[in-house]
Formats: sequence, structure tokens, C-alpha cells
Amino acid sequence: MRIVVALPSGQDAEATLAALRRLGREVELVLVHDATQCLGQARDGSVDLVVADRALGEETDRILEGLRSEGPPVVVVAGEASDEVALDAFRRGAADCVAASDDFPRVLAIVALEQIRRWRAVRERGAVERRLQTLERLNDVIVEAIPAALAVLDAEGRVVGVNPEFSRTFEVSAESAQGQPLERLLPRDLLESGGVIGLLARAALQRGVEARVARGVGPDGSPRAFDARARRLGDDGRLLLVLADVTERERLAKRIVDLQRYTENIIQNLNSALLVVDVEGRITFANAMAERILGATRLRGHSVAEWFPTTPRQSALLVRTLEEGLRFRGAEATITRADGQWLPIGVSCAPLVDADGTKLGAVAVFQDLSEIKELQRHVLQAEKMASIGQLAAGVAHEINNPMGFIHANLFQMAEYLQDLRRLWDRAELLRHAAAEGDLARIRAAAAALGELAGEVDADYVLADFAKAVRESQEGSERIRHIVQDLRHFSRHDPSERTFSDVNECLDSTANIVWTMMKHSVVLEKHYSQLPRLRCYPMQLKQVFMNLLVNAYQAIEEKRGPQGEHGRVRLATQQRGGNVVITVSDDGIGIPPENLSRIFDPFFTTKEVGMGTGLGLSTCFSIVERHGGTIRVESQPGEGSTFEVVLPLAAQDEPRPEPAP
Amino acid sequence: MSAEGARGARVVLVVDDEARILSALRRTLRREGYEILTAETPAEALRILEERPVDLILSDQKMPGMSGLELLARAAERCPSAARLLITGWTEEVPQRQLEALGVRALLPKPWDDGELKRTLRQALGASRPG
Repeated sequence: MRIVVALPSGQDAEATLAALRRLGREVELVLVHDATQCLGQARDGSVDLVVADRALGEETDRILEGLRSEGPPVVVVAGEASDEVALDAFRRGAADCVAASDDFPRVLAIVALEQIRRWRAVRERGAVERRLQTLERLNDVIVEAIPAALAVLDAEGRVVGVNPEFSRTFEVSAESAQGQPLERLLPRDLLESGGVIGLLARAALQRGVEARVARGVGPDGSPRAFDARARRLGDDGRLLLVLADVTERERLAKRIVDLQRYTENIIQNLNSALLVVDVEGRITFANAMAERILGATRLRGHSVAEWFPTTPRQSALLVRTLEEGLRFRGAEATITRADGQWLPIGVSCAPLVDADGTKLGAVAVFQDLSEIKELQRHVLQAEKMASIGQLAAGVAHEINNPMGFIHANLFQMAEYLQDLRRLWDRAELLRHAAAEGDLARIRAAAAALGELAGEVDADYVLADFAKAVRESQEGSERIRHIVQDLRHFSRHDPSERTFSDVNECLDSTANIVWTMMKHSVVLEKHYSQLPRLRCYPMQLKQVFMNLLVNAYQAIEEKRGPQGEHGRVRLATQQRGGNVVITVSDDGIGIPPENLSRIFDPFFTTKEVGMGTGLGLSTCFSIVERHGGTIRVESQPGEGSTFEVVLPLAAQDEPRPEPAP
Repeated sequence: MSAEGARGARVVLVVDDEARILSALRRTLRREGYEILTAETPAEALRILEERPVDLILSDQKMPGMSGLELLARAAERCPSAARLLITGWTEEVPQRQLEALGVRALLPKPWDDGELKRTLRQALGASRPG
């Protein structure tokens, strides 16, 4: 308790101070002698009372003036009891006026105590009110700003008040909402099937917050979802209803679930296998196709090394992706399944890194290529058979000639045999006659034999029989060769590359095609010494055959039925790390507008039945498979030169592509 | 070029680029009593016709430089009285109209039947026999 006592400096203060000390030990008395000092003390907020002596005169008036509107109460001590003085003091704002009577100490103490009690009460009330005001303002702000519709309902379910969000959401003003039953304000389905009514009913019966998701349509008819909460506000049956619109949140949440499902669906139904592996090469995700291709389920946690090669280095694509961060696209590789089966796959791998660039592992997407490989083989084979069909006419002619003379020779040899049989019969007769020793019969038999020998021209028959046999043997040998060549040519390639002699491939092919073109073409061969090439020899032969047949047809087209011979020049050479094969002709040539298209599939200028249009495109893909190139130069009317360049270093190892 | 057979015998010129065929045809016709001349190229055949007339020409169709039909057409200019026969493995490829236009007497298949070949030649020579 702090009391400021103001009285003139020369005056004895003891009586006043003593009177105030009676209020208790905790009373702190501050003695001042003018208004300035007094007001300075009184305004610091901790002073409970000011006791000002009237003897200060105008200073007392200043004190009263200074504390009139705010500050502690001021009790004026007057020298004598006078209504005039007292009235003046009250008028000036004094809380009380005490005269310095005999009873002064007791009266002052009582008055001081009373004033202090009142002042304190006033001060406390003010603090509470201020706090209440602050809270109310805060409440208003919250209620207005909260992104949820609020409504307070009375015990009858009528709206006591709503917040602006409520007005916005349900398109009703706060004024018109007031006093309305909730049924008038909220869409019916939200209240009933949405469950708001039930929620309020439960909230009315218990303490605590009731919550549920209420669904219905908004005022605009669109479906809405609300996080609805209700709580009893007190014992008077009032309820608070909070409706937070979570339509968008739910929509987004659903969208996320949908997207996840969608992605999952795509990944699972992908016609490609998808594997995600961690930095250790352990599988962290595998889709259904991955399980199918790898031939195993529950792949998670398994090491990819169980299927993917880790050596040699150039085949270990996934390992290189993990360790070196390399990317591969559409690379060909083989995997080994648990049952030992090999599968050709086309695989793309990329390292997996997070936003900070930390390595997380790798992703591999791959397809089973066995069917494609099989189809490729079929296409190649079909194309080859088609080429062989073109060759057949020439080959048939080659076979027909020896067939012709062998056939005729056999007839003739049968006749010769008959002649010889007859001669033998007569020789037998002679032998019998000789055995009997009858000279006359011997002579007769010998004469008959001699006569027949002359008749059948035995010397000629024997000589020509031998010649016919020799010629027929040679003819059948020729047929055997042709058939062998053809069989050789239509054979399947081994699935692995083999080291082969390109000159031999070219030459044996040229020999077959030669049967068809020898009547119109002069063939020049300029072969150089070549190292053996790791290749698919049958496929190369097919390339050469296509080029040779094309050369032949170009010549035929130019020369007409009885023109001059054309010329086909074959050349091989080693140029750096490549083997270069050129096939040149002096045929009709290729128009410039066709040059860029001749390697396209099904592009053909030949008549129907003369070509599949696949020949050169097959050449192109075969050469590409060998890592080589094929190109053509042509002058219309002058001829064409095809150049095939094949690298000696096998180029089938997948090459990484640069990171994007 | 070669010739054989009795003096006064009918002269048959056989043309084929395949020597073994010539050899076999000669065998087939051995007993027919013809004088047989052979040529391995159309050019050689034409040279023979320059030197002497023949009674019958039997030519292969597919030959380098000149087809059998063309050879027979040229032969008709030099030796109109000679019967002209074509022998080929691809009889269906030779247009009948062209055969008729050229007055080709017969089209023989290759391989041939000995009896048929002999009969056809006999008939052709019988029809072309002068008088």
C-alpha cells in the first residue's frame, strides 16, 4: 500500500503520517512538498492514495486537477472543518475531505482505508474490462477470419449468430440468419443425410467436441464436403457449429490417390518391365512384367545380379549405371533366369538421383526381345527365300541343262546296253562252242559275233558309252553343286557371330547369282587379302545377293533382250579398321529422287512379283546390325555403286548415351 | 563345227551353248542317218549356214548374245527351206504367235523324250523334203 502525502515543507507532518501508519506495517508513505513531486509519484500506477494538505494552497488545487480524470483518489486534509473548504475540494475532484479535528488520526485512517479499497476495486474492474475488451476483439477477429462457417444456436436450434464465412458459404447475411432455425439456412441433404442434425443432437447431450464429415450440395448445387464440429457452449443449451469446407482438400486427396492408382496401374500394366534398384543393386520395386520376364515373384530385396550380367564390364549395363551414372537407351542385353534360360532383352537404364543429386539407385525398363528376335529371323529368312525365288529361274536353267543331257544319255546308254547284251549273248555262244571244241561251230559263232560287232558299231558304242557316263557324271556333279550352293544359302545363320572370310561369303554368293546372270553379265572380281570378320556370314551373303541381283536387274533393264553384256565389278579391301565391299554395275542407274528412299522398307520400283521392296532395307538393317554402313552412288543411265563398310571391331556392345 | 553321216543324208544343224547337250543330242540322233552339224553359239550357227545349206535347224532358246528364236528368224533368211525347231526348258515362255510368225515347225521340251524328238525331226524333214 503506497500513499503519497503532500504538505508544505515547513509543516509538521507527524500527525498525518502517524494517522496513516495506523493502517498497517505494509503502508509505504511518500512525503512530498509540491504538486509536481506529488503528481510525479502518483502517476506511476503503484500509488493507492494521495493525501494532500490544504495548506499547500494552489499546489493542492494542481494536485486535484492533475489526478481528476485518472489516477489514485485524493483526500484533502483541511486545517479546520468547513463546508466551504470541503465543497471546494469535492468540486475540484477530491475523494474526501478530512478536517484536522481531535479525531483526525482515526478519521483519516478510516477515510484512507475506504478510499484505497474503492480505488482498488475500480482499478481491478478496469483491468478486467480491458481484458474482456481485448478478448472480445480477438474473438471477433478469429470469428471473422477463421476459414470455417460458425454458427451459435440456442437451445431451440435457432441461430444466435453466424460468422462472415457462414454468410459466404451458405449465402445468407448475418442479420437474416439471426433467429432462423438452422433448417432454413443449410441445404437439407447436408443436415439430414450429411449428418449435421445428428451431430448437433449428440453435442447437446455431452461435453466435448463432436465431429464428422458432412456431405451435401452447396447453395450452387455442387457437391461439398464439410469437416463438421459441434460443441455445447454452456449449460444454457447453446451450441457452436463449425463447418469447414474440405471439398477442395478432399478433391486433392482423392486426386492424389487417383494419380497414385493411375501411375500404379500404368506401371503394373506396362508392356515393359520396370525395376527400381537401390545403390547396392537391390530391387526396391518391380512391376508385373518385370516379374514375368525375370520369371520370379517377390523380387523386392533381391540383387539384380541374379539376372543381369555383371561381367564382362561392357555387358553389365545396370552395374555401370549404378556405379558410373551412365545411361543406356534401347541397349540389347541378355538376362539369365533362375532356371538357366537366357532371354534377349532391350533395356534402358538411368541413374536415380534425388533433388540434391544424391544417388538413390537406378531405374531399368526392359522388354523381352525373344519374339522380336524371332520375328527378325523370320523376316530375314522370308526375304532370303524371296531372293532365292528370284534366283530360282536362273538356277532351274542351270539344273535343266545337265538334267537334259543326263536324261538323253540314260536313254542312249540303255540302248548301248542292249547292243552290248546282244554282243555278250554271241560271245557266250562262242564260249560254249569253244568249250565243246567243235571248230565249225566256233567259226560260225565268231563270225556271228564279228558281224554283230560291226552292225552295232561296237567300238563306237563302248567309247561313247564311257563318254556318256563321264558326261552324265559331270552333269550330276554340277546339279549336286548347284543344290548344295542353294542349300548353303537358305541355311539359318548361327545365332552367335562367327569369324568368317568376307571374300568367301561374297564369292560363294556371286557364284550362285552368276548362274542367273551369266548370259548377260561379265563379272569382275577384285578381292584383296582381308582379316577375318566377326559377323553373321549368312546375313552378309544375303546382303551380297541382294546387291548382285539388283545389279543384274539394273543391267537387264538397260540392255534389253539382245543388248551388249553388262559389267558387274566386285571389290573388297581393308580400309583402316573396316572391311569395305563394293558392288558396281553399269546398269540403268537410280534416279536421284529415289536415292534417298531405296533403303526404305517396301520401297520398290520393280514390277509386282519382281521384288518384295524389302531387299535393300534388309541389307540396311543387316549392315547396321554389324555396326557398319551402306551407301550408294548412282548416275542414271551409267550405273550404280553400292559400298558396304563393316567395322572389324565388333560394334554390338551397347554404348552409353550422354546424360540429358 | 562338225559333220558326219552318209553322203546324201539329210543335214541337221544343232545349236546349243551347252556342249554336253550337243553331245547328248548327237547320241539320240545317232541312228537316224542324218548328217549332224553342231554349233555352240548362234554366231557359229550363222557362219555354218553361210557355208552350206541344211535341211533342219534345231536350236536352244536361251543362249548368250542371241535367243534361239532370233537365230531361227535369221536362219530363215539364209536358208528358207530348212525346217526350224526350237528346244527349250521353258516352252511355256515362248509365245506361240511368235513361233508361227517365224514358221517354226515345232517346240521341243528339254529334257526331251528320245522317241518324241526323233519322230518330230522325221516329220519335219518329211514335210520339208523337196518335191
